[in-house]
Amino acid sequence: MAAYISMGEAHRRITDYLNRFSDAISSQDGKSLSRLLSISSDSTGLLYLADALTTFQDANRVIRQTEYSQYADILVHVFRALQSYRLKNLVESYMAFEKASNAFIQEFRNWETAWALEALYVIAYEIRILAERADIELASIGKTPEKLKGAGSFLMKVFGVLAGKGPKRVGALYVTCQLFKIYFKLGTVNLCRSVIRSIETARIFDFEEFPVRDKVTYMYYTGRLEVYNENFPAADHKLSYALTHCSTKKEANIRMILKYLVPVKLSIGILPTALLLEKFNLNEYADVVLALKRGDLRLLRHALEEHEDRFLRSGVYLVLEKLELQVYQRLVKKIYIIQKQKDPNKAHQIKLDVIVKALRWLEIDMDVDEVECIMSILIYKNLVKGYFAHKSKVAVLSKQDPFPKLNGKPVNA
Amino acid sequence: MATEKQKPDTEEVKIDLFEDDDEFEEFEIDQDWDEKKEGEEISSQWEDDWDDDDVKDDFSQHLRKELESNPAKNEAKFT
Repeated sequence: MAAYISMGEAHRRITDYLNRFSDAISSQDGKSLSRLLSISSDSTGLLYLADALTTFQDANRVIRQTEYSQYADILVHVFRALQSYRLKNLVESYMAFEKASNAFIQEFRNWETAWALEALYVIAYEIRILAERADIELASIGKTPEKLKGAGSFLMKVFGVLAGKGPKRVGALYVTCQLFKIYFKLGTVNLCRSVIRSIETARIFDFEEFPVRDKVTYMYYTGRLEVYNENFPAADHKLSYALTHCSTKKEANIRMILKYLVPVKLSIGILPTALLLEKFNLNEYADVVLALKRGDLRLLRHALEEHEDRFLRSGVYLVLEKLELQVYQRLVKKIYIIQKQKDPNKAHQIKLDVIVKALRWLEIDMDVDEVECIMSILIYKNLVKGYFAHKSKVAVLSKQDPFPKLNGKPVNA
Repeated sequence: MATEKQKPDTEEVKIDLFEDDDEFEEFEIDQDWDEKKEGEEISSQWEDDWDDDDVKDDFSQHLRKELESNPAKNEAKFT
């Protein structure tokens, strides 16, 4: 696959890389160093080097013979990772890269300033990406995919290296975000807890001090966790932070934030504009919003059914299902307003029969007892103020504010 | 020095191994932006006073008709 390279050319490419590597360290040039470690970037320079390594065979000798030998523990494994990556041996590439990264961390610990943070970011990113690919390879040959889990353990170690008083601590949130990506992928989101606790309570960290890109990513993931925990005010706060701070150039990320923020906002009685749904292609929510506006129970159920897979996959199905109570509230309110226009004096008495009739019109078959049950839930949850005249099967609404608004608060539990 | 080098020739076959459909895209490491200004417009795209007393929309009109119709007729429609 590689074009023919002479031994001399191969040797030149290898020493060129080694020179760049040692120059980057001696001049504390984090950016250049990071480029030399971006195994999965497929940069031309690295591909050239990978081919040279295959031709030359014995690059380790070059490393050990020269002034680069002090970084041999990093370099030997970076070379191996790179070469294996080029040959598509992804498991091997991951394992070598993990060794290189371990050696890198040892050096990084000893550097007093934070100049090499950018290189550390690349290590954290690469370890995750290489592990993902290694796992795909493992699964394809029938073995247990376990590298991504290993990458998680490694990154916890990296987190520990950064979580100190010094200037390197601003890098801790980047590593945290890489960990989130791993845990969400593996479905082990409970493991997020300990890093979150550290970020949010350790005195060494001041959240505002972290780079904005990491703050946005962090708030996105912790916001999703709050959605799963059904803690909607917290989810609203975090996802709204992510939304307002996200770079407008990253439309895909904005869309992902909204995918979770929209149901959260709906659950506290706030609707997205049609423009917002349209602009970010979130049409699956259009009918849900319309159902809330109308009080159209049938439409809500239909919308949930139509996009069931999607809502279940993202974990917002249960949130949306609970909107039913708000839709009932809206429907009863509409009945109340219609009655009021006809006869203002009797409007606050709503016969359960009438609600049954309205529901039947919506093709929802419920008897009076079931409707009474729904009404008592609405009253209990403070979505309706009133009481029952049980015998006459009438709900008597309060004359003042019979349909309290949520005003940004969740429905009572 | 660069010629077009072969890219990894195919995307890896997607195995439903572990998935998170909503994995946040990486921001560029050195990407920075004015965090105050960026989201201003988008965060105004919410309504909290939609729950009005307006019953002039089609849905409400139909509902009104339905409630005013006599039960027998209604029964006939659904059986």
